[in-house]
Amino acid sequence: MTTDQQSKVNGVKHRHRTEGPQRHIVVFVFSIVLTLIAFAAVAAGGVNPTFTVVLLLIMAVLQVFLQMGFWMHLKDKGHLLPIIFMLGGFFIAGTCIIMALYWVWWD
Amino acid sequence: MAHAHTLNSSKPLGHGSSVKRHTGLMDWITTVDHKKIAILYLWAGGLFFGIGGLEAILIRIQLIKPMNDFLDAQTFNELITMHGTTMIFLGVMPVIFALMNAVIPLQIGARDVAFPFLNALGFWTFLFGGILLNLSWIMGGAPDAGWTSYAPLSTSTYSTTHGVDFYTIGLQIAGLGTLIGGINFLATIITMRAPGMSFMRMPMFAWTTFITSAIILFAFPAITVGLVLLTFDRILGANFFEVGGGGSPVLWQHIFWIFGHPEVYILILPAFGIISEVIPTFSRKRLFGYSSMVFATILIAFLGFMVWAHHMFTTGLGPVANALFSVSTMLIAVPTGIKIFNWLFTMWGGQVRFTTPNLFAAGFIPTFTMGGVTGVMLASAPADFQFHDTYFVVAHFHYVIVGGLVLGLFAGLHYWWPKMFGRMLSESLGKWTFWTFILGFHMTFFVQHFLGLMGMQRRVFTYLPNQQFDLLNLVSTIGAFLMGVGMIIFLINIYLTSRRPADASNDPWEDGRTLEWTIPSPPPEYNFKQTPLVRGIDAFWKEKTAGHTAMTPAEPVGSIHMPSATAIPFVMSVGIFIAGLGFMFSRDEFGNAFMSFLFNNYIVTALGLLITFGAMLIRSLYDDHGWHIEPEELEGR
Repeated sequence: MTTDQQSKVNGVKHRHRTEGPQRHIVVFVFSIVLTLIAFAAVAAGGVNPTFTVVLLLIMAVLQVFLQMGFWMHLKDKGHLLPIIFMLGGFFIAGTCIIMALYWVWWD
Repeated sequence: MAHAHTLNSSKPLGHGSSVKRHTGLMDWITTVDHKKIAILYLWAGGLFFGIGGLEAILIRIQLIKPMNDFLDAQTFNELITMHGTTMIFLGVMPVIFALMNAVIPLQIGARDVAFPFLNALGFWTFLFGGILLNLSWIMGGAPDAGWTSYAPLSTSTYSTTHGVDFYTIGLQIAGLGTLIGGINFLATIITMRAPGMSFMRMPMFAWTTFITSAIILFAFPAITVGLVLLTFDRILGANFFEVGGGGSPVLWQHIFWIFGHPEVYILILPAFGIISEVIPTFSRKRLFGYSSMVFATILIAFLGFMVWAHHMFTTGLGPVANALFSVSTMLIAVPTGIKIFNWLFTMWGGQVRFTTPNLFAAGFIPTFTMGGVTGVMLASAPADFQFHDTYFVVAHFHYVIVGGLVLGLFAGLHYWWPKMFGRMLSESLGKWTFWTFILGFHMTFFVQHFLGLMGMQRRVFTYLPNQQFDLLNLVSTIGAFLMGVGMIIFLINIYLTSRRPADASNDPWEDGRTLEWTIPSPPPEYNFKQTPLVRGIDAFWKEKTAGHTAMTPAEPVGSIHMPSATAIPFVMSVGIFIAGLGFMFSRDEFGNAFMSFLFNNYIVTALGLLITFGAMLIRSLYDDHGWHIEPEELEGR
């Protein structure tokens, strides 16, 4: 925090380090591959529905991390507050879902 | 965004000469200045607070004696519903927003909020939502299902007038304004703090505003969804809460309280912040345990989302759920207790001056603590079966909302009045306000604890004689009138003050600790000629102890970028208002064929939405770069 203040005081902000395009291309290809796996799993079908569902969920979670981390820059410095607020949102939305499932539909 | 361009980077986008300055009413309608929006919030909130107060007086007149026929049962139900709804959503929340708008940008050393346009939009949607809700009085009857609007009472089976529609649509529109305001303050506090003001150097009121805004961000979507579902049930014939169609009335209670409990922390946390500003100032001491205060605030906000079912102990959630929610509710007493003791330790050994704001702050501590203690009593599930829906609950929540929040708001208003208007409120009238209000308050609500314990139920429009309710109800009504006298003295104080010259100095309380006291009262529209450099907690006090009379600037004098005034937020809100009204009456039979055609085919709704989206389109297509105040103008003043 102190170095951050120091840089603000001097009127210069160093927020994002410049990165080359390589990493973005790799992540992009990886996202495409994940999508292809998901589509392929459904297209192949028939083997075991439970397996397909679990596979899709894993692909989805990986995809979320890639999208959030790389394309929405959550992996970069200075993104702690967006992460805290997103986790807070997930937490409260999750509470509501559990409430609705447990007390209203299953009761 | 209002931010400064330093001298070498200043590029006049819209130079001062091209700025259109509005005057009179148009100035207020088009303003995006946070200080003027604060005043708008204050007057509108004050107006609704007055309406809610009159409703309270009528309720107390009806209950002054047994078997009274001053009001009939239906009117009484409408009054209690509108009293609760008006006070919470349209009375105290706008006054909270008034203080946040007036103070937060100044306290963090900013020239405006992050999104001045949104700030105006938030105010106007709130105002039109409030007007829509109160139109119900003259358009076929007010909502009558209680401020909680529980199903099935609020469903179209049992509520056949448009009352509850005014509730759902009015609150939806007003809630939009609150959500917008909350997001705006989050962005403002995260991005616009002056150089050197780290999070842990922020004034406590800025901290509580930040946390409050976060709670608004997470809690308001719940009520938005709930109100949409109830609207769909009532107007479009859906079955979310309609038992006959397979719906669940308890679902409404869950959704309402998932919003409703955080809502009460949205109300009280800003009051905690105000008290944490007033007490150190008038004790001439740094706030005791600043970091524990921050920690307690965050913990209260977190736990606030974990306790909603304590409003529902008697709905039959089962012993395990009741026990868990009992424990989580009692846990909140811990961070709240930390705060109470921190305030006491701040006063301890300080040079305490009992000015009006500090009187209110000192009155707040024991009064709020009493409300907290009854809160822990209510948290105990077995005991709650006895207290539920009695006057004990009424006494409890008035102790925390009036004895907590309203006393806090009074403290804040007296404290920051010179900063908002440039005039000090009269100290002697202020003390009269305090004593009449707090005496009237305790008279009104202290006895209600016992009425509740003796079995008087809440929301009953009358009671039989000789149940030992008679005397206590009489005392309660007299107390309510005394609170009314306190409010009238406050209004007289405002009127008399407004006739005096605006001569308040930068630091009228002389012991100001934070950045708002370093600039003129009221501040110029750009707030800070030069953004200040913050060198510690209580930035101004730090400079004072170092022997300085002003802040060290963090930038040279340069041209200041200002946002343009615009009427678009007002027009957008008018559009939503028309759309809401049109949607509400879309199923009605009108005697007039033309009217029926307009409403039943959603033409009025479409017209309203057209206005709103048209205004949004204009806002998107027309690039407004704002304008600049040049250094010569700054020096000329």
